[in-house]
Amino acid sequence: MSVATSASHERTSLVERLSTPGRGWLTLPAIFFLLAVFIFPLVLIGLYSVNLLTNRFGVPTSFSLVNWESFVPPGDNVFWDRFKSSMVITLVVSVLAVVAAYPVAYFLAFVARRRRYTLLLLILAPFFTSYLLRVIAWKVILSNNGVINSVLWQLGLREHGDGVTWLIYSWFAVGLVLFYSWVPFVALPIYVVLENMDTRLLEAAQDLGAGRLRTFFRVTLPLSLPGVIAAFVFVLIPTTGEFIAPLLVGGPDSSMFGNAIQSFFQETPNWNYGAVLAMWLIAVVLVLVLLFGRFLSTDLRESKATT
Amino acid sequence: MLGGYFVLLAIFLYAPLAVMIIFAFDDSFVQTLPWSGFTTKWFSNAFSNEELIGSLERSLWIGIVAAILATLLGLITAVGMTARKLRFRGALTALVLLPLVIPYIVLAVGMLILLNWLGLQRTLFAVLLGHVAVSVPYCLLIILPRLRTLDQAIVDAARDLGASPWTAFRRVTLPLVVPALFASALIAFTISFDEFAIASFLVPPGEPTYPVYVYTGARTPALQPQILALGSVVVVASLVIVTAAEIFRTRAERKLAV
Repeated sequence: MSVATSASHERTSLVERLSTPGRGWLTLPAIFFLLAVFIFPLVLIGLYSVNLLTNRFGVPTSFSLVNWESFVPPGDNVFWDRFKSSMVITLVVSVLAVVAAYPVAYFLAFVARRRRYTLLLLILAPFFTSYLLRVIAWKVILSNNGVINSVLWQLGLREHGDGVTWLIYSWFAVGLVLFYSWVPFVALPIYVVLENMDTRLLEAAQDLGAGRLRTFFRVTLPLSLPGVIAAFVFVLIPTTGEFIAPLLVGGPDSSMFGNAIQSFFQETPNWNYGAVLAMWLIAVVLVLVLLFGRFLSTDLRESKATT
Repeated sequence: MLGGYFVLLAIFLYAPLAVMIIFAFDDSFVQTLPWSGFTTKWFSNAFSNEELIGSLERSLWIGIVAAILATLLGLITAVGMTARKLRFRGALTALVLLPLVIPYIVLAVGMLILLNWLGLQRTLFAVLLGHVAVSVPYCLLIILPRLRTLDQAIVDAARDLGASPWTAFRRVTLPLVVPALFASALIAFTISFDEFAIASFLVPPGEPTYPVYVYTGARTPALQPQILALGSVVVVASLVIVTAAEIFRTRAERKLAV
């Protein structure tokens, strides 16, 4: 077998076969497609943000930073504050999701043994059902006469009709729904790291007299940090642009930055100002990607048989 | 203790789905306890609601076409990316993976501006293109590793026996990546079928996709029970499909293990 493999390497590997001149052009359709429907629109958003394009009546089409100036401090601060509170809830959700998912990943990797694969699928499956429907289900649970409040009434813990007000249309509701939807997905990268961990290191630590807690905090946890950070970023990046959960379970004071963008393109159209917010969101996300990108194992150049 | 925690978290994950199904059979417009009584009328109402069924059909079609297009585009791009010498490989990788990190709302806004710039109306075709764009990176991430792990000797053997590069690809490589292609199509379909952000900006008036209609329904108390009824069907169906696909995939990969 080894002879055959080395012989085939001496002839031509698959990589070389595929790299006959002209193979690379197969990437062109995707390049053109993404440039047209993805990159070029981003350029248009940029032009809108500086008034070089506009669809507003009475606004001159010439370069102007007026929208940028009113957004960035010291501007009028309304949407800058919205951005800050949005980032706070995003960070809180990301941290809580990782903390909640870690024991699950640990359980699957080290305790569950033969059933681990089935149990992993059990945890992941809800993630593949409709996000919108899951948010709506939470609305049924949290609403003023919803499941939680009506149970409290039935048990006589609260006066009938007197619901817990912060359950819905609040930061609590938005945070809970986001936390709920990310926990299963976040368990995955942590599980992968734990699963591939060299268990001999753990045995060595215990042989050298470390207790179970000490082994965990000195060996297991530090070794699993790449997975933990990847998981954290997996929540952080998409949640930064979230707007669906606040639409359904958030209130006027608990809407996110994405909702501000949405409102400037739908309810109260001002595409130029909305474009500033959209550009800012892109900038923030790209900074996050540059900061944490190396923890995300989606690098196609390096990717090997991981699935 | 960890086992107990796992059970609690699993209950937490499935509770909202259970609540949706329970209230889909509840004989009241308002979802509250105590339960008002058993009924299946919301299901029959939902299935005779032409707007709801119409939106479902629209989403099914867009999802199927998006899955096929994104998988095809993912496959040819993946083959192209296995080229040993590829100019601007770094820039290309960044470009094809960018849709993974850019928020959908930005993409949606960008495509809305693009349509406006071209002087076009909002259209379902634009929704389809948006869904293909966000699905392609996932398809690529599924297909490319599979292509990379193929046993080179098998393809070499085909070439040595006189097969042209195209024949070798069609007769040898392609059958071996079929499980990955199915997985890729399934992911792309799931993304498209559930996608709300892009669709909400680009659907023409009167032609909502299923998620857009569901969103409207969730804000209309009279429609909410029907949304829960059809939603239960959709959720149960997707749980079954995900499980079946996973079983199918593991079996197929085991059979084709190389």
